[in-house]
Amino acid sequence: MSGERKILRCDAVAPLLVFYTCDEVSAEEREQIVAHLANCNECSAQLAQEDALHGAIERIPQAADQFDTANVLLSQCRSELSESLDELSAPKVEEGWRPFSWARQWMALRPGWSAAALMLVGAIVGTQAIQWLPFGSSVAPSAPVNVLAASKIPDDKLQTMEVSNVNFSHSTGKIQLQLEAEQPMTLSSDEDDVDVRRVLTFVVANGDRFDAGVRLDCVEALRAAASDEQTRGALLAAARRDPNPAVRLKALDALRDMVALPAVRDTLLVTLQRDPNPGVRVEAVNLLVRALESEDEAPEVLPEAPSNFGPGVALPALPSNGRETEQRILHALDELRQHDSNRYVRLRSAAALRQIALQEVQ
Amino acid sequence: MPLSRWVFALADSSGRTGGSSAALATVTSLPNLDERALVSEAQAGSRTAFEELVRKYDRDVLRLALNLMKRPEDARDVYQEAFLKVYRNLHRFRFECSFYTWLYRIVTNVCLDHLRRRQARPEDQAPEIHPNRMEEGPRDFFDFQKEHRPTLDPERTLMGKEIQSRIARAMERLSPRERVVFEMKHYQGLKLRAIGDALGTTEETVKNSLFRATRKLRNELAGLR
Repeated sequence: MSGERKILRCDAVAPLLVFYTCDEVSAEEREQIVAHLANCNECSAQLAQEDALHGAIERIPQAADQFDTANVLLSQCRSELSESLDELSAPKVEEGWRPFSWARQWMALRPGWSAAALMLVGAIVGTQAIQWLPFGSSVAPSAPVNVLAASKIPDDKLQTMEVSNVNFSHSTGKIQLQLEAEQPMTLSSDEDDVDVRRVLTFVVANGDRFDAGVRLDCVEALRAAASDEQTRGALLAAARRDPNPAVRLKALDALRDMVALPAVRDTLLVTLQRDPNPGVRVEAVNLLVRALESEDEAPEVLPEAPSNFGPGVALPALPSNGRETEQRILHALDELRQHDSNRYVRLRSAAALRQIALQEVQ
Repeated sequence: MPLSRWVFALADSSGRTGGSSAALATVTSLPNLDERALVSEAQAGSRTAFEELVRKYDRDVLRLALNLMKRPEDARDVYQEAFLKVYRNLHRFRFECSFYTWLYRIVTNVCLDHLRRRQARPEDQAPEIHPNRMEEGPRDFFDFQKEHRPTLDPERTLMGKEIQSRIARAMERLSPRERVVFEMKHYQGLKLRAIGDALGTTEETVKNSLFRATRKLRNELAGLR
């Protein structure tokens, strides 16, 4: 720096006086300002004003001195900050992926609308969307689908139960069963038709386990449902194997309208040949005659009679859809006529053969 | 003035003075090395270290906030917001300046935001409370500066109240940045360069702000000369 002192002009010094007052000028500027002030009354007066202002500003009471003299505010701030830091430091609860959380929130706030919306969606899906499902094409639209209610009686319970009473009303067709098991119960065909039929067929098909009177009642109750395959199977089983002839007889009677079926005929044939009770055999004869009578309307005619049915009785040519079975029936009747131990059975068989032959002649 | 325990000088992050990246240096009860260790611990997740840092500086932070905001509730908001910002961003502090400078930068930015919001929506703001405007009690200019009172001159007392009132009015007319600069210069005792560091601007800009602020105050007091 040169030895010559540069003298600033007033317009250069005036703006610096603010910073000169608060000690924010460089050493060089300070030296020049001091030199200028020594010869300039106007700038010296302005400096005095700046000093006064500076002093006044510094003497103004501070808000901090007023508001928090006892450090109460500071304590509050520290406490609040500590709480905020606690919240920030607390581990975040990881929320799992919650699909459709917005929908659940919406539904929680609007239960009425939610119920209506769910019903609408269910109706649309049930009526429209089901046809697009892969299994939809394999089910014919018109095919009936049997939907069975869950059974009240499981299989193991069925094996151990006892039927204490069977109430059957012929006029109304209603059946009521009282079962004795670990938990006694009453079944009614009004409400538990499937279970009632299940119990009845089980009782009929398992004759050795139940009282004969109960079995008779059950057969009677099943009569109206003989067209059902499962029921018919139980009745056939009872006709063949039930130890009580009255039950066998009633079972045959229940199958009266089903004699055209091969399975029923087979059972009748077996009964003719093997049943020890003459009354049952007679009933079988009656049913077989009825069966053969019903066959007369059929166009097919057997070409030749297999045997002679006795004096003056020729073996008729029988119309049949199952020729072998019918031949066996005729032969069984002929056997009964000739060899049955019971005279009434022999007479009834002979009468049956004659009746069949007469019908054939006519 | 009741300037704090801070002694400000130009210094860089390692404490050398006069560097280009100079910042605020502080004289505290702990050496800078201890503060560096404290900051490092806080950065590593030590809540205790962070709270020690807070207690080291929060009195001055609150004081600055009170003086700038003039309302305790606003000052409390500034305190909370500033220190929570420090806590969340502490991992970004790279010791390129002193922790105090970095902290003051955050505090002044928060104050500026609050002042700007207040200026933008004055209708939503409660009026500022000025100590010299409080009618009750002996809270006037000369009451706090008794040692400067040569006599109990009533005229001078009245003039002192008038001066305080006008300065308070003039302070309200300052822009947020002028207000912060004025406060940090006159009441926090910071050098203009340090203020520039805290505000993230140049010393020249700070100088201009201080000059404008002083001129506004002088104009306000012109009739009292």
